[in-house]
Parts: sequence; structure tokens; C-alpha cells
Amino acid sequence: MNSDELQRLCDFIYRHTGMMFTESKGYYVERRVGDRMQATGAVSFDDYFARLRANATGEIEQLINAFTVNETFFFREDHQLRCLTRDLLTDLTAGRRASSVIRIWSIPCATGEEPFSIAVWLLENWPQIALFDVEIVGSDIDTRTLSEAREGIFGKRALMRLDPALIRKYFTPYGEDQWKIIDEIREAVRFSRVNLIDRQEMLAQGPFDVIFCRNVLIYFDDASRRIAAENLYDCMHDGAYVCLGHSESMSRISPLFDVSRFEDAIVYRKPLSGRRD
Amino acid sequence: MTDAPAKILIIDDASLVRLYYRNAFEAAGFAVAEALNGIEAMELLLTDGADLMVVDINMPQMDGITFLHRLRAQQAKLASIPAIVISTESGASDREAARQAGANFYIAKPATPNLLVETARLLCGRPT
Repeated sequence: MNSDELQRLCDFIYRHTGMMFTESKGYYVERRVGDRMQATGAVSFDDYFARLRANATGEIEQLINAFTVNETFFFREDHQLRCLTRDLLTDLTAGRRASSVIRIWSIPCATGEEPFSIAVWLLENWPQIALFDVEIVGSDIDTRTLSEAREGIFGKRALMRLDPALIRKYFTPYGEDQWKIIDEIREAVRFSRVNLIDRQEMLAQGPFDVIFCRNVLIYFDDASRRIAAENLYDCMHDGAYVCLGHSESMSRISPLFDVSRFEDAIVYRKPLSGRRD
Repeated sequence: MTDAPAKILIIDDASLVRLYYRNAFEAAGFAVAEALNGIEAMELLLTDGADLMVVDINMPQMDGITFLHRLRAQQAKLASIPAIVISTESGASDREAARQAGANFYIAKPATPNLLVETARLLCGRPT
């Protein structure tokens, strides 16, 4: 790919996902585009790009799938999970009636480790789970990982942080070095395909009480980050919380949220009286 | 008589709640089966039976009270399975409705693992 082709492709991905790839990521981009050209039988970049734009065989979705990063594991950044049960849920459920719905969103959820972790963590650490109606939604732009998430089958690496007792309790062995999450946990998480910068898709999922949006905004440029932050904001109840990845800061992205410092994590909160102009 | 642990059928539409109760009962040595609503529970009881039921009141398709009414109208073996009813409502009229439908014990949420296990031991006499 020459630099003009690279630029055209990066612009295309940016417009469709908000993810910003620059010249410095050239190798990363070229490898993925090369794979897709081979898979589609395209004879040249122009041939491939024409197919991509026509999207006759769903190539946009395939390309986006090729560009997402899906490395994760159970109980990743568990200090935020501790914060969820020690502080966030305590605050959010204060004064709420029994059986009230508490909605938690994992976006992006990749192959499901995060939303399933939330379910397991709640069962192990939050007895009020029997008092409230907890809904967990996992969303991602990548349709391929979503179907893997729905299967709920995981390898050794995904489970490396889990205590063996928890693996025995919540998984059943599934072939060599693989485990399947038990049906009750699988049923407790609903999966949906959502693009963070697509306002309508986002609004259709909300509103939520807690959102985990970790390690995705780092791939966005400032403009898309702001759009994503505003979309998240509009998918939250007043007073709801959003948790970002450890290297991310909402204060650098958007002034809409209040910073809440808890013992285990820093999270961002939609103001209680929150209405933006 | 066998030494098999007593079997508890948990009837609740929320999978995380079922799992929470299941964890509590299994840790105490009970065997556990699950149903999502009254219809599925009726089917399971007809085929596999149970020594005790834990019934949620608010469920889609067939709520806990309707389920208990129907069950208590069945042949003696099914009709006599003891039932713990769990509800978010703690008012006297709700307790009375559950009692009239055939509940043996009524727990207003939150149902702690200790309370569940103690009540289950009381109602089915064994397992652990």
C-alpha cells in the first residue's frame, strides 16, 4: 500500500468506527488489509477498496472485525470491580425499592470476559444481588467476537486470574484446556452490536446505572472521543457511573462528568441534576 | 430411604438470583434444580419431583401464586411438596395470599443464604 492508499483506508475506518490509525500504525493496518484482500480475492488495493465501499458482501463489518483488539481476561482491573460492589452499587441502590432494575453495561465487551466477570463478581461479593433485578449488557462493534461471547467458551489465558474454586463453580470443562461458562451466567448477560460513535445505536441500549468502557477510547482521536463520551453520557441515568481503563481520563475528554474518587478506583459520574444543553 | 441429599427446586426468572440461591443451597449440601417460571417448574416436578420448592412471586407467564394454586390442586404426591415463597412485598396481605396459595414459609427479600438454608433444613428435615 502506498501512503495515499493507507490514508484513504484509515479515513474510511475512522469515519465508520472513530478509531484513528496514523502512518505510524502502517504495518498494523497493512497486515489486516492484506488479510482481507486475500480473503475477498481482491487483485489490487483499488479493487478491494471498491468492494469495501460497495459493501455488497458485508465487507465493512469484516474489516472492522479485523481491526478491533480483543485481548482481555476475567477479573481484569479487579480494583474497579471492588469499587463497583463496595461503593458504586451501595450508592446507587440506597433508598431504592427491592426488585428495582440495576443496569450495567460493558462496552466494548469483546469476547465476553468483562460482562461475565461482572456477573461472577456480583454473585461472590454482593449479597444484594438477590434483592435487585440486575441486568448486564455486553456490547461491541465486532460481530465475530460477539458471537464468541454468546458461546461463552474460554481458554486458559482468559481464566488465568480466576481462583480454581471459582472456575469449578462457574465453568464446566469443554474440550482440551477450554471451559464453558455455566448457563445461568450466560443467560444473565445480553449481547448487542453497538458502535460507540453511532448515537442512535447507543441510545437504543440505555439508560444504565454503571458503564464499563475500558481501553477503547485510546484508539480514538479527540473528536471521536468526545462524541463517544457524549453518547455514553446520554445513555446514563442521572448520578450513574462510568469506569474507564487505567490509562484513560475522562477529564481530558469531556467536561460533562464529575470525578469520583473511591478507595479502589477513580470513576466518572453523570451529575445528579445532569442535563446538558 | 437413600442417603441422597434433599432436592430443592428453585423457581425464579432471574438467572443470577437462581444462581445465588443455588450457591447457598449447594454449599449446605442440598441438590438443586432450577426452573424459570411456573410452567417449567410444573413440568420438572412431574418428571423429577423435588423435596422442597423455593418460589419467586413475580415471574412472567405464570406467577408464583398461580403456580402454587395449581400445584396444590394436583395429586397428593406433588401437592404436598413444601414451598418457601420469596417476595419483595412484606405486607400482611401478601403473606396471606401466599399462605392461601399453599406456601409453607414466606421470606421477604433479601433472602440471606443463612435464612434460606435454615428454612430449607426445617422444611425438609434432611440433607446435611
